[in-house]
Amino acid sequence: MARVVVDPVTRIEGHLRIELIVDEKSGKVVDAVSCGTMWRGIELILKGRDPRDAWAFAQRICGVCTSIHALASVRAVEDALEIKIPKNANYIRNIMYGSLQVHDHLVHFYHLHALDWVSPLEALKADPVQTAVLQNQLLEKYGAVAELMPDPLGRRAYPKKFPKATPGYFRTFQEKIKKIVESGQLGIFAAHWWDHPDYKLLPPEVHLMAVAHYLNMLDVQRELFIPQVVFGGKNPHPHYIVGGMMCSISLNDMNAPINVERLAVVEDAIYTQAEAVNLFYLVDLLAIGHIYVQKGQTYGGGLAKKRVIGYGEFPDESYSGIKNGDYHKQVLYHCNGVVEDFAEGIEKAKYYPLMGKDFADPGVIQEYVAHSWYKYPDEKSGLHPWDGITEPNYTGPKEGTKTHWKYLDEKGKYSWIKSPRWRGKPCEVGPLARYIVVYTGVKQGHIKPSWMDEMIVRQIDFVSKVLELPPHVWLPTTVGRTAARGLEAQVGAAANLYFMKKLYDNIKAGDTSVANMERWEPSTWPKEAKGIGLTEAPRGALGHWVIIKDGKIANYQCVVPTTWNGGARDPMGGQGAFEECMKDTPLKVVNKPLEVLRGIHSFDPCLACSTHLYDTEGKEILEIRVQGSQPLCY
Amino acid sequence: METFWETFKRHGVNRRDFLKFATTITGIMGLSPSMIPEVVRALETKPRVPVIWIHGLECTCCSESFIRSATPLASDVVLTMISLEYDDTLSAAAGEDLEKHRREIIKKYWGNYILAVEGNPPLGEDGMYCIIGGEPFLKSLKESAEGAKAVIAWGSCASWGCVQAAKPNPTTAVPIDKVIKDKPIIKVPGCPPIAEVMTGVIMHLVLFDSIPPLDAQGRPKQFYGNRIHDTCYRRAFFNAGQFVERFDDEGAKKGWCLYKVGCRGPTTYNSCGNIRWYNGLSYPIQAGHGCIGCSEDNFWDNGPFYQRLTTIPVPNVEANADKVGVAVAAAAAAGAVAHGVISKLRSKPNKKGGE
Repeated sequence: MARVVVDPVTRIEGHLRIELIVDEKSGKVVDAVSCGTMWRGIELILKGRDPRDAWAFAQRICGVCTSIHALASVRAVEDALEIKIPKNANYIRNIMYGSLQVHDHLVHFYHLHALDWVSPLEALKADPVQTAVLQNQLLEKYGAVAELMPDPLGRRAYPKKFPKATPGYFRTFQEKIKKIVESGQLGIFAAHWWDHPDYKLLPPEVHLMAVAHYLNMLDVQRELFIPQVVFGGKNPHPHYIVGGMMCSISLNDMNAPINVERLAVVEDAIYTQAEAVNLFYLVDLLAIGHIYVQKGQTYGGGLAKKRVIGYGEFPDESYSGIKNGDYHKQVLYHCNGVVEDFAEGIEKAKYYPLMGKDFADPGVIQEYVAHSWYKYPDEKSGLHPWDGITEPNYTGPKEGTKTHWKYLDEKGKYSWIKSPRWRGKPCEVGPLARYIVVYTGVKQGHIKPSWMDEMIVRQIDFVSKVLELPPHVWLPTTVGRTAARGLEAQVGAAANLYFMKKLYDNIKAGDTSVANMERWEPSTWPKEAKGIGLTEAPRGALGHWVIIKDGKIANYQCVVPTTWNGGARDPMGGQGAFEECMKDTPLKVVNKPLEVLRGIHSFDPCLACSTHLYDTEGKEILEIRVQGSQPLCY
Repeated sequence: METFWETFKRHGVNRRDFLKFATTITGIMGLSPSMIPEVVRALETKPRVPVIWIHGLECTCCSESFIRSATPLASDVVLTMISLEYDDTLSAAAGEDLEKHRREIIKKYWGNYILAVEGNPPLGEDGMYCIIGGEPFLKSLKESAEGAKAVIAWGSCASWGCVQAAKPNPTTAVPIDKVIKDKPIIKVPGCPPIAEVMTGVIMHLVLFDSIPPLDAQGRPKQFYGNRIHDTCYRRAFFNAGQFVERFDDEGAKKGWCLYKVGCRGPTTYNSCGNIRWYNGLSYPIQAGHGCIGCSEDNFWDNGPFYQRLTTIPVPNVEANADKVGVAVAAAAAAGAVAHGVISKLRSKPNKKGGE
């Protein structure tokens, strides 16, 4: 058995280490260890602060999937204080959220994931003339995917961002890459395993097309977030307020944050999102994914085959609350549920709904620390986030020294990430999980499908037809996880058009309100309140739990997507989605585990998100400070 | 390493267009036309500078902001201006192979590469709250800084400490100048910094082969020389005493000054008012939210954010409007109180507020 370490795992947010135990004879990964290697303590920092400020702190959990923690935070505080936001604020938040989904997924595919599938060196072997021919063929072959997206606005005259299918276009990119390679300054392409045999799976023309789009989309991506800049003032880290949005609407005042001109800027950006997704992202994705599946690369499903979880998103109208209101009756994206055994076929899959009350139930969602660098009084038990405690307890590696690791100790503690569980069981989260829940829920008749659910079912059936495989075979794989993300970007763009129309219609009807300020002043709050803020981050289900006492935050806890997927083992032996997906992966070159890297990247890991600290025990905080404030370098 | 002019030539850019480019960027960088020959000379002689970009405790918002740059586009910076040899977020490679490459670059370009640092080192638990390759980030930071020509501190994390260093700072996170003492450090604060400020700093380093003029706190004067308040498009309303009293009121619709709902513009040095975000599209104040002061040291602990400032420090230079305010309310000691009085007199429609 060989033990292979990849640290740092790059092209992700934050810091991650993986260790693989490989059977050298078969080349298969037998077991894997996933370790979050940073910890910041933002929940501790939130304690004692004004709950109206919480979104700004929580938002800094992640700058890649920016805005999502702010959204979860304002929802949690509004849930606690029983604030219902105005219609316009709900539409605007949904458009900001949809824009995040489109941007984050597209940037992930091209800039954080593509180089696992395609190589700039292979692109040099391509014929630019043939690449142009291929581009046209692919648009022809997969272009119908654009028709899956409804457009209730219907105002775009023609697509402005159509891919250039000319030899000149592709030659320019090829020459650029050639000069970089010849200069010897490879920059971001340096030191990678370009000689891995998997880079020979695709024809050179596909490599050139994808690498050209990698560079092209680096420039286009900045336009996709424009709705957040207009409504939230900047990006990353746009602004929000508890009670709605601050971007007042006026069709009379020339200095109004939102007027017709500003709305036109947003509308144009949404169409750019739609075109970038429909004409670049999905076509490239289907072309690459199709070939990989045809070559038999259908591994990497891991935990998704056994159990997935989602929380639900896109409230159609503003809701009365989450923990005991009608949030889950309002959502258009019915991924709030758990599905088990999807890989055994849609008939055999088991579906369990999740509603607001489940998130307040101490037995449904819990976190464990048996294998994480924290201490619990009883480490065999899990704790609901409202009752969570955290006491950091760094124990070092199995081999090596405290500050110089060789190998981690999977039998002991080995990660800064805790282990969240649904009724004691590990679950995968993310676009793939959401797609499995909606597909199962609709096909088995558990939910009355919204237009969004119907769109998702149509998308899955479309891809199944292209791949000539049933969903339970292709979806729970590395390719399927990447495909679900691309398809969901299309849902994001469709939602933005839908909510843009609702925003226009509502303003037209005379309602310009964006904020409910009735409970802005702390004097109007109850002495004690508890809230839950749910959303679906690009990387998966996200929940914030808050307790407010005497106008201040008494406890603030986040259970985040990469904690679900990348967390350590639990005391019952359950492993998270990262570890499960690596197991059984065949490696062509043992010390260049590209297949595993591709599998891990298919989750779009976010480590800043997953490594944090929950509780409130003043003693431990003090200890850390005393210990840590020993001046090392002052 | 090839120069910019060589790169341009290789792309078939003629001399005329090359000079046009030089003229444009001279303008973008806020330099006078007399500087054009110097910019041209720089473009003709400077090679692509190797950059090592490392990440400590952070959220990657600085990298995300950087790739939103429109003038210049981030793709142009990364592919033609600099050679980004190590970057956690963008590098294709992973693991020990990438770490080895970083060490080779340090050796090969000793004294000639730029170190860009996003995030900061924790000192608690021997630095093991942030680990790269099984060792503390602190080690990688010191190792990479040693042979660097200059160090860029991206964002408020590297510059001041930022969110993880807010009270009670559980990991004992510190700004990088607490551990790197012997190198010039350019602080580019903001959470995140504005994209064009980031690429502008790199352009300056690359084109002029010098560190941009810095203020007493180590920030480039060309981007942090004014308070947001000084260049804010709502400043006229501040001067006139017209204030938003609470979110979504009539004043909010009219785009009046946000000072009373907690705006930190009067105490924050940054380019949000003039450069704005997304190539001039908007900035927080334009969207109706007060500035939270994200480029200022210790801003997380200067809250709560919606509490109006009780004092506005009046700098010695260029503070006419503030002085006017003080003069009007002759008896008031602080500018904040002064402006509150003015607004009460002038803004009759808004009855609720912080008075």
